[in-house]
Amino acid sequence: MPEITFAKPSLPKSGALAVLAAEEGLAAALAELDAATGGAASRAAAAASFKGRKGQSCTILAPAGTGLSRIVLVGLGKGEELTPHGVEEAGGTAAAALMQDEAAALDARAACTGAVGKAGAVRAALGAVLRGYRFDKYRTKEKPEDKPKLARLTVMADDAAAAKAAWPAAKAVADGVFLARDLVSEPANVLTPAEMADRCVALRALGLEVEVFGPKEMRKLGFGALLGVAQGSANEPRMVVMQWHGAGTAKGGRRGAKAAKASKPLAFIGKGVTFDTGGISIKPAAGMEDMKWDMAGAGTVIGLMAALAGRRAKVDAVGLVGLVENMPSGTAQRPGDVVTTASGQTVEVLNTDAEGRLVLADVMWYCRKRFDPAFMIDLATLTGAIIISLGHEHAGLFSNDDALAQAITAAGKATGETVWRMPLGEAYDRMLKSDIADMKNIGGRPGGSITAAQFLQRFVDGCPWAHLDIAGTAWSSKDKPTVPKGATAFGVRLLDALVADQHETARA
Amino acid sequence: MIAVRFRRRMPEKGARALLAGPDAAPDLALPGFTGAAGEASSQHDAAGRRLIGAGLGADPSARTVREAAGRAAGLAHGETRLAIDARALPAALAAEAAVGATLRAWRFSRAPAPRDDDASGTPPPLLERIDIVVADKRQAGAVWDMLRAGVEGALLARELVTEPANRLTPLRFAARMRALEEHGIAVEVLGRKALREAGFGALLAVARGSAEPPCVVVLRWKGRLELPPVAFVGKGVTFDTGGISIKPAAGMWDMRGDMAGAAACAGAMLALALRRSPAPAVAVLGLAENAIGARSQRPSDVVRTVDGTTVEVIDTDAEGRLVLADCLAWTLRRFSPRAVIDAATLTGSIVTALGHHRAGLFSTDAALAAQIAAAGEAVDEPVWPMPLGGGYEEALESGIADLRNCSPERMQPDACHAATFLKRFVGDAKWAHLDIAGVEAREEDEPLGPRGATGFGARLLDRLVSLRFETDEE
Repeated sequence: MPEITFAKPSLPKSGALAVLAAEEGLAAALAELDAATGGAASRAAAAASFKGRKGQSCTILAPAGTGLSRIVLVGLGKGEELTPHGVEEAGGTAAAALMQDEAAALDARAACTGAVGKAGAVRAALGAVLRGYRFDKYRTKEKPEDKPKLARLTVMADDAAAAKAAWPAAKAVADGVFLARDLVSEPANVLTPAEMADRCVALRALGLEVEVFGPKEMRKLGFGALLGVAQGSANEPRMVVMQWHGAGTAKGGRRGAKAAKASKPLAFIGKGVTFDTGGISIKPAAGMEDMKWDMAGAGTVIGLMAALAGRRAKVDAVGLVGLVENMPSGTAQRPGDVVTTASGQTVEVLNTDAEGRLVLADVMWYCRKRFDPAFMIDLATLTGAIIISLGHEHAGLFSNDDALAQAITAAGKATGETVWRMPLGEAYDRMLKSDIADMKNIGGRPGGSITAAQFLQRFVDGCPWAHLDIAGTAWSSKDKPTVPKGATAFGVRLLDALVADQHETARA
Repeated sequence: MIAVRFRRRMPEKGARALLAGPDAAPDLALPGFTGAAGEASSQHDAAGRRLIGAGLGADPSARTVREAAGRAAGLAHGETRLAIDARALPAALAAEAAVGATLRAWRFSRAPAPRDDDASGTPPPLLERIDIVVADKRQAGAVWDMLRAGVEGALLARELVTEPANRLTPLRFAARMRALEEHGIAVEVLGRKALREAGFGALLAVARGSAEPPCVVVLRWKGRLELPPVAFVGKGVTFDTGGISIKPAAGMWDMRGDMAGAAACAGAMLALALRRSPAPAVAVLGLAENAIGARSQRPSDVVRTVDGTTVEVIDTDAEGRLVLADCLAWTLRRFSPRAVIDAATLTGSIVTALGHHRAGLFSTDAALAAQIAAAGEAVDEPVWPMPLGGGYEEALESGIADLRNCSPERMQPDACHAATFLKRFVGDAKWAHLDIAGVEAREEDEPLGPRGATGFGARLLDRLVSLRFETDEE
């Protein structure tokens, strides 16, 4: 992550410069640059048909009259339509064009207008940082000139002091996003359930309370469904419970034990199948490598908890992840097996590749009973059907609570991690009827994501609950303004925004 | 449709059914019957008459009443007459009992006689008459007159969907539409030549492989309001082999129902005419067979639609959207409708997304979408809003034409892509698209219909017109 500083606007003497420009303000912005470049900025913008539209950009290399390596113009679109996420996208687009320079400046004055206001500088910086993510620890032969060089980014705004004060919280969120992307990018031979649990333990440094449960403890808790999935693998399963106690600090000063007791925590639960072969119901070979990111729901929960702790969120939150590897072997569970979940309900496992819901069933039930949370939100790369339903544009949102669903939808829109609500209902629930157990773990192809959600709903015990099926959004096959190709960490920003906007009332 | 009569007293003969909630349940001498919603049971009394109890639960809704009456009709197997005692219900709800019973009692007109299941050698008789016993028969009858129209529409749609493709070719479909003239509907048929002149390049390309010529049927109901019509556009692929991008053999027989959208639109028009709706309406049915032949269109062909848009055909099995593209563009040009709603068994993707319980609703107009959803809920044809446009546009970019008909990727949200494709042909008209694949037929007997065609869409569109288009307000 490049080092971010904030400064008052001035024309840098060297390095690269990016200028965010709205359509209306383009002429003024160009006039300023023209004064330094002898009119080159305007000529370049005209030659490239750069009008300041959203998504547009234009680079002027080695502009005469300056010591700059390049000037990058990035469009913000119409000023009145500007949103915080729109600014992030412009910051991301700028960053993508600045990677060749060690030091760069980003003129974010035009982003600090209208509905965005002062937050524009921080949003631009956040967008730039998020776009700059790279997972390159296993590239051992990459030449230095092929690596991105950007080490220092100075974001320029009139109120640099305000931006500087607001940045640490935003950076904590970016750190959470990066942690989630790292986890999702790691191959499955490195990131086993035990290794993933260890990385959670490391988060104690941020002030999180972290407990790790092994097979023995989970057996005691009656996690028959999760353990059934895990039993085919040589890598032992884990469940990690992360707690953040921030609510007591709301009124400044030390945490009051009473306040902490009174507030029900927000609960986030993630599916963490570190590799999913499908088990005995094995997947086709083509594309199976993608199954290393079948733990993205857990990755997001871990990243979110790191973000909340990193920015000292004034809220009580718990994050639970069920970590297993789904392998075929002589000890693997078979199609037709019946397992008993922690809730006591029995499940006929007709397809061992519908394993995520088995893992979540036990963890969600445990979460409900132990924490009695204000709500439970689970995230999971749960079904291929959600990709056939919504593609890679939206995650599927299923909920038994309209207000919660609306809040999640709004937070998704605000952060560019958009969701689309899908239905639940009695008619779908009936599709889980089993001949020999309380339910079967698949409902057939029609409405496949819905029946998966219906399955989960049987383990929420009346708690306000939402399920995000992120199978289509956890990984991106192309660069987007704030998300480079690869692991997206979908959900970290959405849920962080949900917490910040809805549950930190005492927040300054 | 089975004859329905409203009367005040229970008849002396035939089967009896009581629609009852928990309070009335004990009066029925039906062991174990509690009157809960969804419950139904049947037995013979001492005199040998069949007695049926169908539960309403406490505080029944129109839907509960329809379903209870439907269950009762389902249990009246082997009876010729069924009397439904709805005296405990207000007149409007009692009329809904007739809706449920007639929807459930429907049989395909060409269906063979039912098998005798008591080995007596004679097939069991069919239900011929349903009496609804009510306190105020005039009022209930008046409500029924309006509801009956929708049921007739739905049953017409079921008949059409059930017909096999060798008996319901595009031209024979069109010929059957002529029968609607007697209800005051104007019927116009555009044959191949007229379609060529009007520039239906996409629809004609779909039809190329078949020996059966395509056509477009235009049904018009004048109504009384001096307004442009509301338009329905229906996909009527009388059989869909997939074309050169041929479908697997397993399940291909279901493709006789790939004209269910057109059938629903025709059914809705019949309903409007039967109840003399004041709203002017038009239905445009694109009828073609997607067959494989020496002249079939190929994947990679480029076709030109009515509005001049060029389309690269990636998959010949994404043919419904080609038929609809021409029909939508032509409908807008010819009628400038107040709103246009298309119905189509368009994608397998929507079945994966929503299963068999809801149709996909795609719309660029929030108010219209909300009214369609409300209409659907009101008549047991539920829909669910789905996304279109935005990021889905990219999947339709073609290297050599204005757009392509689908994306070649293996796993993709084809229902959203198809809706996004159609959006390109509706300009800024108020428009909604119903993807009814998955709900056009049911796999098992259900309270509101036997296994087979559902007629989904006919009652919904009829109700939509009554909710939104029978005044001159926007």
